[in-house]
Amino acid sequence: MAIAINKGLSLAHDIYEDRGRRVRELRKAGRKTIGYICLYPPVEIITALGMVPFRIFGNMSEPITLADQVSTTVVCPFLRSIIDLGMKGKFDFLDGVVGAHTCDIGAGIIVQWRDYVKDAPFTHLIDVPHTDHPPAVEYFAGQLNSFKRHLEEYAGQKLTDDKLKKAVELHNTQRKLVRQLYDLRKPDPPLLTSAENLEVLVALFSLPVEEGNDLLEGVIRQVSERSDRPGRKKARLLVWGPVFDNTSLFKLIESAGSSVVVDDTCVGTRAFWADVKAPYDLQALAQRYLVDIKCPRTYRQAEPAETKRDYDKDLDSRFNYIKKAIVDWNVSGAVLQSVKYCDTHGYEVPNLRHYLDTLGIPSIYIEHDYSERSLAPIKTRVEAFVETLG
Amino acid sequence: MNDLASELFFAGIDIGSTMSKAVITDANNVMRSYVVGPTGAEHRRRANRVMEEALGKAGITLDKIAYIISTGYGRVNVPFADKQVTELTCHARGVASLFPDVRTAIDIGGQDAKVLRIKNGRLVDFLTNDKCAAGTGRFLEVAAETLGLELNEMGRISLQTDTPVKINSLCTIFAQQEIISRLSEGQPLPDILAGVYIAIATRVVKLARQLRVETPVVFTGGVAKNPGMVKAMESVLGVPVLIPQEPLITGALGAAILAREQAFQLIQRGEYDTHREKMLSEAYIEYGEGSG
Repeated sequence: MAIAINKGLSLAHDIYEDRGRRVRELRKAGRKTIGYICLYPPVEIITALGMVPFRIFGNMSEPITLADQVSTTVVCPFLRSIIDLGMKGKFDFLDGVVGAHTCDIGAGIIVQWRDYVKDAPFTHLIDVPHTDHPPAVEYFAGQLNSFKRHLEEYAGQKLTDDKLKKAVELHNTQRKLVRQLYDLRKPDPPLLTSAENLEVLVALFSLPVEEGNDLLEGVIRQVSERSDRPGRKKARLLVWGPVFDNTSLFKLIESAGSSVVVDDTCVGTRAFWADVKAPYDLQALAQRYLVDIKCPRTYRQAEPAETKRDYDKDLDSRFNYIKKAIVDWNVSGAVLQSVKYCDTHGYEVPNLRHYLDTLGIPSIYIEHDYSERSLAPIKTRVEAFVETLG
Repeated sequence: MNDLASELFFAGIDIGSTMSKAVITDANNVMRSYVVGPTGAEHRRRANRVMEEALGKAGITLDKIAYIISTGYGRVNVPFADKQVTELTCHARGVASLFPDVRTAIDIGGQDAKVLRIKNGRLVDFLTNDKCAAGTGRFLEVAAETLGLELNEMGRISLQTDTPVKINSLCTIFAQQEIISRLSEGQPLPDILAGVYIAIATRVVKLARQLRVETPVVFTGGVAKNPGMVKAMESVLGVPVLIPQEPLITGALGAAILAREQAFQLIQRGEYDTHREKMLSEAYIEYGEGSG
């Protein structure tokens, strides 16, 4: 897929608006698409077996109407939205779904997919330990091996070392290109808006990796040369939190007189910051996914043998990667957002706010129920927060 | 201060969910007039009326107003405002102008409650209740309707007791049912009313504790006029609260103070347009915007 010059952003926008459009075409041509939920199923294995990994997101503008039959409203609304869309046939272009025990509901959702979403010939759940201790990494590598064997069986072909190596290289290239894309928001004003950035990332999760890489190269070229750059804003913000797959929040924050220049969310940096390291085997994948991805779903507080807790050291070991982003992107404030009932992220918030306080970075915490409507009352709070930064 | 600046006046207009407020100040930050009127869907459109009345009371004309800042829930709907600033920033400035040492401000409005942390007269952190009428003026209105009482009557009666009943539910609708069942149990009216105030105070103080309460604490908003509410707030907080003479207008006052600051900055930079056309007009209202 060649990207015409100056078409990168508009192509990303089109895919963002209709995520299934490319994989539907590919499916007609006989290519299989495997949907995955959260960041933990290794996309390299799917790519290496000739299939397209497609990250499953919900839809904040689609009211949840069917999922109430299978779970109550105390369940994560993002994951409920996914099941709701699945029950409505919105993912009928997927040949299979793989999930991971990222959190309890994240695992439960795969069971629900089997039970309530029809036309899913392949489903698989990867168990993911909740610490990054060495025996956990060992166990996780074993889980990846089971997934590999199951998918080999479905694909009717073996995963050779060579195929895996090629796939890892392609995905590592994508990660490198995304980091270059983020570099374009280091200048003041940034060269692209956070909403544009998100549209590109969501498009990457909807395309085969090679096509995503072409798109990225096109976007980077286009943005580096563009004349219609965003204007300079009063504050440079970092957005933190669980999945945010919709541009609405970013538009809301940017309309309040600030730029979002970097993030720590699982649609953004968390998905692309860590490469798989050589040798490109299952052990290396286990290390990348369980240890190198920094998501609060993995408990990384005390050292395994440490019994006495040093609070400041603990905070630093959990969050110092955020400190680096604050310095590199010249961040002046942080918006911590979470979807309601996300206990893994909720647990981190008071500690993270304290850590940001010690860095002199003001922060605000907002909660939404994964619907565009729930963002409207947040607007005043975000505006007031930006006013305090003045 | 140059001559131009000394003759100027400034206005803040606060369009809240139930009340609209306007304040006019002069170059020395002295309040020249204020007006408080009901909002409602129709009234909110008439933001110009509140402004007109305030001008009338101050005895000045609109062309003498150098800068107008609108704030509050309906701030975006005020066409004659030069700038919009959130009610959080404005309340903080207004409160700090009356109580320079203030560290915590608690404001309970018609449909929302907010807690502000203030340092050196500036807003540094805040929390608001989200999309629920519990712990707001609306909660009191529902209770008053349920009991067939006037709001100010309710406060007075509640002061007759030191043994408030416990209202367990913080949800406005459930609390209404609870009030009815307490009544049918034969609990004395003052005890029930005092219980209602304690319930609201508990809800708001819970919010305040998340920000850590530092004294002095200032209590504002229409609800702060109610002696029953003030007593409950002090007993739940465990510290006395300061209340402005007119607790409804701190947001509009803060907006006027910011308007003066803004105008002076423009004058200093030589960017102030003395010949701009000024006209009061009705506010436009977009219905259906999802906001609590």
